[in-house]
Amino acid sequence: MAITTHHQSVRWAFSRPNGLLLTTLIAALCVALPVLVVVSFVLTGVSDAWSHLLDTLLGRYALNSLLLSVLVAIGVVILGVPAAWIISFYRFKGRGVLSWLLLLPMAYPAYILAYTYTGLLDFSGPVLTFLRDMSAPEWMMDPLLNIRSLPGAALMLSLVLYPYVYLLARAAFMEQSANLMEAAYTLGQSRWRVFTRIVIPMARPAIAAGTLLAIMETLADFGTVQFFGVQTFTTGIVRTYYGFGDTVGAAQLSTLLLGCVFFLVIFEKASRSKVRYYSDRLRKLNQTSVTLTGWRQSVAQILCILPVLFGFLLPTTILSYWALFFAELQSMWSLITNSFFLAGFASIFIVMVALIICYANRLYPSQWLNHTTTFVGLGYALPGVVVAIGVLIPFGALDRLISQALAPFGVQPSLWLSGTLVALVFAYLVRFLTVATGNLTSGLSRVRPSIDQSGRLLGLNQFGVISKLHVPLIRGSVFTAVLVCFVDILKELPATLILRPFDFNTLAVKAYELAGDERLIDASVPSILIVLVGLIPVIWLNRSVTQE
Amino acid sequence: MDTAALMVRNIRLSYQDGMIVNDFSLSLQPQELGCLLGPSGCGKSTLLRAIAGFQELDSGEIWLDNELLSTERHRVAPEHRGVGMVFQDIALFPHLTVAENIAFGLTGWSEESQDKRIAELLELIGLTGLNQRYPHELSGGQQQRVALARAMAPKPKLLLLDEPFSGLDTELRGRLASEVRTILKSDGICSLLVTHDQREAFDFADRIAVMHDGHICQFDTPFNLYHEPTSPFVAHFVGPGEMIDARVEGPRSVSSPLGVLTHDADLEFEVGSDVQIFLRPDDLIHDDDSSYQATLVGKHFRGAHHLYEVKLDNGVVLGCFAPSHHNHAIGERIGVSLDIEHLVVFPK
Repeated sequence: MAITTHHQSVRWAFSRPNGLLLTTLIAALCVALPVLVVVSFVLTGVSDAWSHLLDTLLGRYALNSLLLSVLVAIGVVILGVPAAWIISFYRFKGRGVLSWLLLLPMAYPAYILAYTYTGLLDFSGPVLTFLRDMSAPEWMMDPLLNIRSLPGAALMLSLVLYPYVYLLARAAFMEQSANLMEAAYTLGQSRWRVFTRIVIPMARPAIAAGTLLAIMETLADFGTVQFFGVQTFTTGIVRTYYGFGDTVGAAQLSTLLLGCVFFLVIFEKASRSKVRYYSDRLRKLNQTSVTLTGWRQSVAQILCILPVLFGFLLPTTILSYWALFFAELQSMWSLITNSFFLAGFASIFIVMVALIICYANRLYPSQWLNHTTTFVGLGYALPGVVVAIGVLIPFGALDRLISQALAPFGVQPSLWLSGTLVALVFAYLVRFLTVATGNLTSGLSRVRPSIDQSGRLLGLNQFGVISKLHVPLIRGSVFTAVLVCFVDILKELPATLILRPFDFNTLAVKAYELAGDERLIDASVPSILIVLVGLIPVIWLNRSVTQE
Repeated sequence: MDTAALMVRNIRLSYQDGMIVNDFSLSLQPQELGCLLGPSGCGKSTLLRAIAGFQELDSGEIWLDNELLSTERHRVAPEHRGVGMVFQDIALFPHLTVAENIAFGLTGWSEESQDKRIAELLELIGLTGLNQRYPHELSGGQQQRVALARAMAPKPKLLLLDEPFSGLDTELRGRLASEVRTILKSDGICSLLVTHDQREAFDFADRIAVMHDGHICQFDTPFNLYHEPTSPFVAHFVGPGEMIDARVEGPRSVSSPLGVLTHDADLEFEVGSDVQIFLRPDDLIHDDDSSYQATLVGKHFRGAHHLYEVKLDNGVVLGCFAPSHHNHAIGERIGVSLDIEHLVVFPK
């Protein structure tokens, strides 16, 4: 039993300067800053541009965001749930490979899928040329030609986001106790009744949680909707900020978007608490699954391969083909070194902050610290665009202050913070700190308090406990944390786009710019690099999941 | 000069603003195996953590071998106390082998003496030859014995055991408790076990402190706790039994529904006062020849014997042990007789 003294840790935090606790507080303030800045503009009243926005564009942004969310929700459930169900309840040839192939689309940022399909389905591209040669009817070609639309964006997002639903639903199906299903059979229920009355209702919280995550990502998406010309909150925020130069309007739009995300987070947390409630560790389903043969087996294989085919195999083949044989691109090396340096530096920095927070929680556990850490965890739900605007406004103000202060010394005004990597790394910290703390917390929680206490009683001091016991035991989770942060940063488009220093390009930004110039073939090079690096944690994580 | 090895004096502990233990004292003699026995939440684990140095004292003192370890202001770090501990969740270091786990606390020992100590301990715990295994390759009982060896390795002045057997299955639990007792006795190491399991405590300890709500009700040998409990709580906690009303008749006798019973010493109650007497199932024996009859209302077969519940004609229900082969049916009238050597009397 881990008993620690609550009131003592609070006393320690305030009576002695304590680096760990101080850093945790500062990190919490950092995460809070963009949100507070953005929300504070609610009180400043309505600007002219904003009232114009209300009249004309707001309705469209809201409607498009809503439509897109609904379509993606339907899409991820259609793609994710049947696959999870087949993988969990049936045995067939290729099941093992398919169970992890189905995760691979996670490596794709939706905007890269959008660029790839746009290039593939171009009027003069291979698919439509072939269809015309075959004199295919109009109704077949029209939707393909119109991929750059709201339904098209929903399809792209669904194809990369369904793994959330698949993963959570699969876990929920597999955690269900075989005893419950067998109890239902002994009560005379048919297979179908058991499925609809027991299996699906028990997995519903998990499916809901996965779908809500997908909707959060959809609302945060900028690259896909921007490229497809679908006007949503994120494109609206960027347009208001840059197009109309209206900070207040952009902040107020951001607040609206934050409000939506806030509700999604609450619903997601509620579903998750039920997931725990429904799971049962007594006896797992695995032993009772049915073996499929003949045409049933083929149907199962096809249902599972389709999402992978369109979400990963096809686009990857095409991207590699373009990148290897057609793309013309100079200065790839500076792009790669820029991206990797930035992502590497930022991810190590973020993991170091996360380590401090995790140790503060472990060494001085208390209620307020726990709440602070949960609060820091909300950063991941913030859309990149909102974080960027929330960082840009206060850093810009700080820059003006610094410039004013330095003016008497003859120093030229400059963007000391907002135009440098400081702002960008700060934004990454806000957005991805959770990724790191999540990985580290799960690693550290496996090192039980009694392990620390054994070490102390066997002659180690606090530092010895960390160096001789924690370092070897949590090395793996530290590595995973760095890796996952690295990849997330590499994929992050809107925050990088808005906050990067002048002339500083990364792979994601370059892919965005080239696609914007309709150089889709050339965009394949940075795109495939992002996807390949993005594959590493997907495979790595799947390996650790299946090992457990 | 006090000869005690461990001395806990008037300590007060609190956790999350709630007081757990107040004015608590306990001492253990050298080589003594002590036990804190109590229901969960009585503060026994917190006490153990205080002795190990993980918990600050609000007041009081903790001494070990005439060295002051803890006061309100001063706390010797856990690593400098010479205290070993075995944990409920075993807490072997998962990335180290059995030998490396045992050698973990042997800093400053020559390699030769380390190897000797490891071999000696592995033999003591009966796991010779498993040096190179990793914890996950061992069974639960083996892991717990390695944890014990690891805690004993640096020859601590005091060994603490925090519910070390509760994660194991029942059968293994009882066996391991006596095994550990033998191991610790052969090493002559002063130890303190914390448990909520009365049988485990009886198997392990020389003396047991029964705890309730942060204080010690009675600190005594297992035999005395069972036969001469000083409070109703202790009486009920360490084994089955029933409380029945009685009245003091003379300096050594009480009248009860079972007749007049006599005590082997003078009672501390005034003649004529209402009291309660505590009867264990072994105070009432089933005897087919007895003229005193009672109705059998419940039975629990325990293998070597039966535990019968019998209802006396005046309505009092008592437990009663009967030989295994005396198989009677519920509702049957059976003969019982009293076998009381001394009375356990409490005020009403």
